[in-house]
Amino acid sequence: MKKPIYFSIAAVSLVFGLLIAFQFRTTSSIAGGVPVDRFQELTIEKKQVELDNAHLEQEAADLAAKIEEAKKGRSQASEVLESELSKIRMYAGLTPLSGPGVEVIMENPPDKNGGASFYSIRDEDILKVINDLRGAGAEAMSINGQRILATSEIRLAGNHINVNLVRLSPPYHILAIGNPGTLKSSLEIKGGFVEYLSANGITVAVQQREKIEVPAYNGSLKFDYAKAAQRG
Amino acid sequence: MKGFQWALALVGLVLGIMLAFQFRVTREINKTEPVQRAQRMSAEVSQLKKERDYLQASVSELRATLDQLPAGPRDTELKEELEMARILAGVTELSGPGVEVTLNDSNITLKPGENPNLYVLHDEDVLRVLNEIRAAGAEAISINGQRLLASTEIRCTGPTIVLNKNKRLAPPYVITAIGNPDTLEGSIKMKGGVAETLQFWGIQVGVKKIPQVTVPPYSGGISFDYAKAAG
Repeated sequence: MKKPIYFSIAAVSLVFGLLIAFQFRTTSSIAGGVPVDRFQELTIEKKQVELDNAHLEQEAADLAAKIEEAKKGRSQASEVLESELSKIRMYAGLTPLSGPGVEVIMENPPDKNGGASFYSIRDEDILKVINDLRGAGAEAMSINGQRILATSEIRLAGNHINVNLVRLSPPYHILAIGNPGTLKSSLEIKGGFVEYLSANGITVAVQQREKIEVPAYNGSLKFDYAKAAQRG
Repeated sequence: MKGFQWALALVGLVLGIMLAFQFRVTREINKTEPVQRAQRMSAEVSQLKKERDYLQASVSELRATLDQLPAGPRDTELKEELEMARILAGVTELSGPGVEVTLNDSNITLKPGENPNLYVLHDEDVLRVLNEIRAAGAEAISINGQRLLASTEIRCTGPTIVLNKNKRLAPPYVITAIGNPDTLEGSIKMKGGVAETLQFWGIQVGVKKIPQVTVPPYSGGISFDYAKAAG
């Protein structure tokens, strides 16, 4: 007589427990929900991936056309290889490029007392300027004629700064190709890095240019360790 | 006995109403505009990413096909040059000896009143570590599977960093670099070097020498909208 009651109490408790668990999950999913900025992020990401895909499709079409051309004969194959090489060299930073962009000149504060100045440009300062320019979409950059590659270091060595193992001295002359307005404002934004440097007495001049020329990397190219990964 | 049954019936009724109500609320939340929009958007993004991976693979395949076409005598030289340029351009998967550097936020427990900002990893810290690795002669670098190009920016956004135009990474950051493992390790661990500075703030820096690491190609298309070949 008593057993069915226990059963029904057990059943009710079970349902009730599930209900509470479910309620809890719903509440936490509301809390961690989808705020507006998350949506904005997704929108930007989507746009970027779409752009990537368009570029990749272009690249694939270009390669397919080259393969077709190369199948026609030896001489065509050579030509195709040359044109592929020149395209990759452009990506790698081995060809001089020109286009609109900005010219940034950074100079140490003049020595008033003849002594060492309070603040002089450090490698990190240049590193940050370069990083800001990259973030603003710079496509090719150079410092005092040294092209910035994927492997370029910007490093303090004594009184100088080394880039691509070449010693540079101030004033530092940075060229960047990209949208001139975006590049300039990325540096000169209120509370930005140029403001900080100016506050420390460093002269930073950012000029928009309709046409600048970024030189090619002219040092030696040697890879002792990296090999193309074996596919399979 | 009867009173007890009544009570049970009442509990059952309340429970039933709650259940129905709960069900409707959940359905309504899922149907609200922002949630639906975001769900649709994130589905689209993951679809697009799948497409991107597929395209990336087919581009790599096409490059391999191009390389295997019959070549003349001068073309071997051309192919070697192409190989070098591709390493630098970051469009091929590479492997070789190197190091794995792991960076993570501080494990120090903050005392009240301390500035937590000092104890988290910043884009600058990552930039400095990368710069040291480059100075030590790294030939190819990636962070959390994102290849570093000449144009790769590193930017802080809240607790995450963004690089290669909106590829978002969260700590721990694993930097993989190909190069001389001893030189690379030394450049990070050097006395007064970047690891020491970061460790002062409790930021965890780990360097591991690895005989064979793999650095993936840049996931995306490279194109120049402003830069043209000069001359």
